[in-house]
Amino acid sequence: MNLKVAIICSDTLSAMGLKSLLHSHFNLDASIISHEQHQLLADMAMSSDFDFFIVDENTLVQNLNFFLPYRNKVILASPSRNNENNHSLKTITTTLPVESIVSALGKILKSSHLPSQKSNSLSAREIEVLKLVAAGKLNKEIANNLNISINTVLTHRKNITAKLGIKSTSGLSFYAIMNGFIKP
Amino acid sequence: MLPIISPSTKLAQIIIDDPSIITVLNRFGISLGVGDTTIEQVCAEKHMNVAFFTTILNTFRDPSFFPEKILNSFQAHFIVDYLNKTNQSYLQFQLPNIERHFNLLISKSDALNSNLLIIMKFFTEVKTELMRRIDDDKNRWFPEILALENEHGNTHEGTVPPTDEEHDSIEDKINDLVSMFVIHLSGDYDVNLGQAVLLALDSLKKDISQNNRIRQRILMPLYQALASK
Repeated sequence: MNLKVAIICSDTLSAMGLKSLLHSHFNLDASIISHEQHQLLADMAMSSDFDFFIVDENTLVQNLNFFLPYRNKVILASPSRNNENNHSLKTITTTLPVESIVSALGKILKSSHLPSQKSNSLSAREIEVLKLVAAGKLNKEIANNLNISINTVLTHRKNITAKLGIKSTSGLSFYAIMNGFIKP
Repeated sequence: MLPIISPSTKLAQIIIDDPSIITVLNRFGISLGVGDTTIEQVCAEKHMNVAFFTTILNTFRDPSFFPEKILNSFQAHFIVDYLNKTNQSYLQFQLPNIERHFNLLISKSDALNSNLLIIMKFFTEVKTELMRRIDDDKNRWFPEILALENEHGNTHEGTVPPTDEEHDSIEDKINDLVSMFVIHLSGDYDVNLGQAVLLALDSLKKDISQNNRIRQRILMPLYQALASK
């Protein structure tokens, strides 16, 4: 599995346990991010650096503003089973036996929100243009915003449509939401 | 390439060649179980104009079929009546069919697959836009065309026909919905229901596309010609 996972938990031992489990069962080398450091990740996450954030309840609640736009990428690690029925959030129950945690994690990682790897991925510049298109900006505004010519904007838009098979502004906006490029 | 449909063509052969055409036949009160009836026979039975009926079927079946000259020879109310039936078919069958399958797909798929909910939201937006257009057709544009044809139209100032841009927008969005299923669907989902939604969307996409050809290239010029008289 080729996914980038960040573990952000206030409990260091839990974080290390999850890291070890991801490595042994899914061959994933997850990064442990310290509780205080994760604010620095905003830009990285916007560039889709991480596919998933595994967080505990404290971290999630204290940093809702940060995680809300990326809720599709968030996996809540909770000792309580009460969160299992929360369908708006991916959840693992840390007090269950290892096999149950592995099974839940496997299901989540498999159901990655990410677009198929078979599709052409967008360049960093195309993602910037996509975000502005999704925000309702006109081509002229996008050109001014990115300091490029309108023709370049049009070329980017043409390439985005060719890669994604999506042409309308609404369609591009929903695609951007699906992939965590913009807030819903 | 399929042969052109003529008055002597059998209905069964048309449906076997392209089953999606049944949605068009339904609008003329024809449903499955057609026996060996020909176009000519069914038109006589249902008091329909044979030339108009074959032209609509050929237009639907073959995107390269150019009906402009033929359809221009019909009175506007034939086309308005057909488009009204088309709009009703969207409201009563095609949109609910997509919605029903989509809701089932969501309920039978992994609750973690948030992609489906986002695509459903997009579908709802497209549906709302299409319903707005249908409402405008029914309450404003079509009555105005019929009034003009019957020479009851007075002044036409302030009336704005639907723009091509609006039509393209709905067509583009349905194309995008199909692309989202074909290219970007991911995660665990019920495969059969996923394909059922795709086929229902594709059927609507084809219908809207042919509908737009008739609206933009036939009805709009007819409307403009009537309004300028």
